[in-house]
Amino acid sequence: MSIPDAPPQAIADQDRSGKGATRAKRILAVASGGGHWADLCRLYPIFAGLDVAFVSVHTSYASQVSGHRFYVMRDVSRHDRWAIVVLIPQLVRVVLKERPDVVITTGSAPALFALALAKLLVKAKTIWIDQIANVEELSMSGSLARYVADVWLTQWPALKTRRGPDYWGAVL
Amino acid sequence: MLPFDRLVRVVDGWAGVHREEEVIAQIGDRGVYEPKHMQWMRFLPPDEFAAMVDRSRLLIAHAGTGSFLLAAERARPIVLFPRLASLGEHTSDHQLQTARWLQHKRGVHIAMTEEELPSAIAAALAHPEVVVESIPPYAPRPFLSRLRDALLN
Repeated sequence: MSIPDAPPQAIADQDRSGKGATRAKRILAVASGGGHWADLCRLYPIFAGLDVAFVSVHTSYASQVSGHRFYVMRDVSRHDRWAIVVLIPQLVRVVLKERPDVVITTGSAPALFALALAKLLVKAKTIWIDQIANVEELSMSGSLARYVADVWLTQWPALKTRRGPDYWGAVL
Repeated sequence: MLPFDRLVRVVDGWAGVHREEEVIAQIGDRGVYEPKHMQWMRFLPPDEFAAMVDRSRLLIAHAGTGSFLLAAERARPIVLFPRLASLGEHTSDHQLQTARWLQHKRGVHIAMTEEELPSAIAAALAHPEVVVESIPPYAPRPFLSRLRDALLN
């Protein structure tokens, strides 16, 4: 998925209301591979002009967000739990180095650990957007995200409930 | 990502029968089956992958939304073959949900079984002009604006 160099300026312009404080906000954007990363790339304009670091599972993804700091994390899944031993120290290092004000993710399992650690270690605001592939029910990580996400979103209106997740829209 | 040898093996078999077609496969890090009839690599960086898509007539992929989005952004037809959790191909059966969601979209051809794959490929190649409806590179503006606000406030 390629991303044009200049994100739409209108998105960046809408918050130039004289609040200099917004400039200093640090964002951590996390996604595992494939569709999770594709979803995050389709949100790229929201990061225009902000201090953002990206975290994903392939070093080659860095070229799609050039100009931003980029970290690699170990992918984990329910079938590959020992990988957590590698993942957790990686994420602790990133979170303590970046000290993000906000962490935003489109999943999956490793990103759930990133949200939890950022909340625990630096009290970051956390945003979970369940991936668009989860059409009929939330992913398992997406369900668990309720415990660590300040903003907990599905991309499917039918999956929105009164007690969450909320629905704000989708990447398509 | 878990391996998906079932897809690789069937497409390799197809390539062996259709020698006139150039078939190039990205098979992932952990697959055991190594193709005999097509050029293959474990992983391609996204830029090179997209360039490869631009040179192609058809995509054949697991039923992942990343693959579908790529077909849409590059205006290509796509054959989707869902991974199954019961065969250890994924952690859940959400690719069946994705397949049900996408099955009626233009330019999308779903194969639910290995047996259906060759006919899905044939159907897609018979109408190469029927491509996935193209989409802009970014999410719709209202969604972006709301998320932007959430980042800043």
